[in-house]
Amino acid sequence: MNKILSRVLFYIGISLYAALLVLPLLTMLSVSFRSDGDVYNPSFFPPNPTLEPYQIALEKFPVLRFLGNSFLVSSLVTLGVMLISSCTGYALARISSPVSNFIFAVVIGLLLVPGEVTFLPLYIMINRLGWIDSYLALTLPFIASPIGIFLMRQFFKSLPQELFDAARMDGAGHLRMLWHIAMPLATPALGALAALTFLGTWNMYLYPLVVTNSEELRTAQIALRFISADEAVRYNIVAAAAVIILLPTLIAFLFAQRAFVRGIAMGSLKG
Amino acid sequence: MESTLSSSTKQKRTPWKPRPDWLEMLILLVPAVLLLTAFVILPTIEAFVMSFQREGLLGRNRVFAGFENYLEVFSRPENLQSAWQSLYFALIVAPLEIVLAFAAALLISRPFVGVAIYRTLFFLTTAVPTGVAAIAWSWFLNPQTGWANWILVSLGLEPKQWLLDSSTALPTLAVITAWAGVGFAAILLTAGLQQIPEDLYEASRIDGANGIQQFWNITIPLISPTLFLVTLLVFLRSLTTFGQIHLLTQGGPADSTMVFIYRIYQDAFFNFRQTYAAAQSVILFLVLLILALLQFRFIGRKVHYE
Repeated sequence: MNKILSRVLFYIGISLYAALLVLPLLTMLSVSFRSDGDVYNPSFFPPNPTLEPYQIALEKFPVLRFLGNSFLVSSLVTLGVMLISSCTGYALARISSPVSNFIFAVVIGLLLVPGEVTFLPLYIMINRLGWIDSYLALTLPFIASPIGIFLMRQFFKSLPQELFDAARMDGAGHLRMLWHIAMPLATPALGALAALTFLGTWNMYLYPLVVTNSEELRTAQIALRFISADEAVRYNIVAAAAVIILLPTLIAFLFAQRAFVRGIAMGSLKG
Repeated sequence: MESTLSSSTKQKRTPWKPRPDWLEMLILLVPAVLLLTAFVILPTIEAFVMSFQREGLLGRNRVFAGFENYLEVFSRPENLQSAWQSLYFALIVAPLEIVLAFAAALLISRPFVGVAIYRTLFFLTTAVPTGVAAIAWSWFLNPQTGWANWILVSLGLEPKQWLLDSSTALPTLAVITAWAGVGFAAILLTAGLQQIPEDLYEASRIDGANGIQQFWNITIPLISPTLFLVTLLVFLRSLTTFGQIHLLTQGGPADSTMVFIYRIYQDAFFNFRQTYAAAQSVILFLVLLILALLQFRFIGRKVHYE
């Protein structure tokens, strides 16, 4: 009896805590289904649920375009990071030479350079190159990622040498060994790296803010700032736009939670 | 005897002739080396160089100015104020986020029916982009009509102005930031808790230890390195929080949320003082570097210990 009671109390406690943590999201969801007149009604559920705010948000702002931008930029950066990190990580792990040792040391050093320090000179450089308002500016600088290279190098280093010896005997070069032996084994590590990179790129704020001026190039994050400035009074419209912008990462997270969790744990604790 | 020897040398001479290692290395390494040089190394160097320069007049080239920018950074009280605000902000975010996340991680550290649902809910803020988090809170905190004040009033407390009052704006932003980071920290702490060997709990249970004793004598000592590391990580991240501030307060009211990174942004893009902002960036860099090195050392020691 005592055991059942403590179970029940545990479920009540943990549910309350979970509810508290998601409460701000629920209030946003609630307000996004309200008409202008109900925005300030203190009821938890929308008194007269309506899809109007979504309709207005989608008509007034190119929300889907913003999402498309974020999606394109994040996907390109993620693919690039996966490719470059695999190639470089492989070379640093499996081809020993003074050059690769030196490059590895540099990569370790670069792990310590925060993006917040380089955003200003990077902006100046992008400006000089005439890349302001281009997808190139939003993607290319992030394709070579020190953390990605580091993680893939550590992974490839952990593979047993015998795998490669056998392939070597059959006459395979490094490129073929990377593609046919190392990469297939790296699928979980690559998945985690992809999740980590995608989320990181999607969440970028300061840099995309300074290298884009036109509405067409705005990523979803930055766009929210302009939407909320434009619709300062109509919270329902802003909330509807925010809910739409939340959906892709939320869905991705719900479906690939394992990869996200592994990516974050890998990228933060072992990096 | 002689024939076997000759056949083996023949075998050594005839087979495959692989592409030389250096060529493959070139193919694999050159793209990364070029990209890292162009977009990470050169900008870092340029930040340092710029910080010792003065803006040329009428679009002329920048000229060497020695420590001028640095002297100005240190002589202006607003920079000190911004540095203090960043520190104050991080000192609220880090403990709050860790306490919230550690509670979540502990609650889901043992399997029970429905644990997957709660895990998803506790990790959920990881999937919430900064901008969305800020929007979610802005309605909640609306002084006239938001639920935050409605709750305060129904508890018999004074309503607050939250983000509109210069005495509460920064702590309020810190709470929002801590909330937005709970998923991230909970993931890391859960990973840490999972590394504690289950047999330790088994053994102590046989010895008659209860849950509270296990928590203080097993969980806490074994999780504390991870706890320290994650706290440092969160502290480091919150020193460069930008998105929420840009969305919600833009440094105001009355500069009360003008944290250091926001001041840099302001000086570079609104006051058009890029070399001065570069000096500010370098100072921020050095502070972050020291903290990151501390973290590195600690990770190294932890791995060693295991």
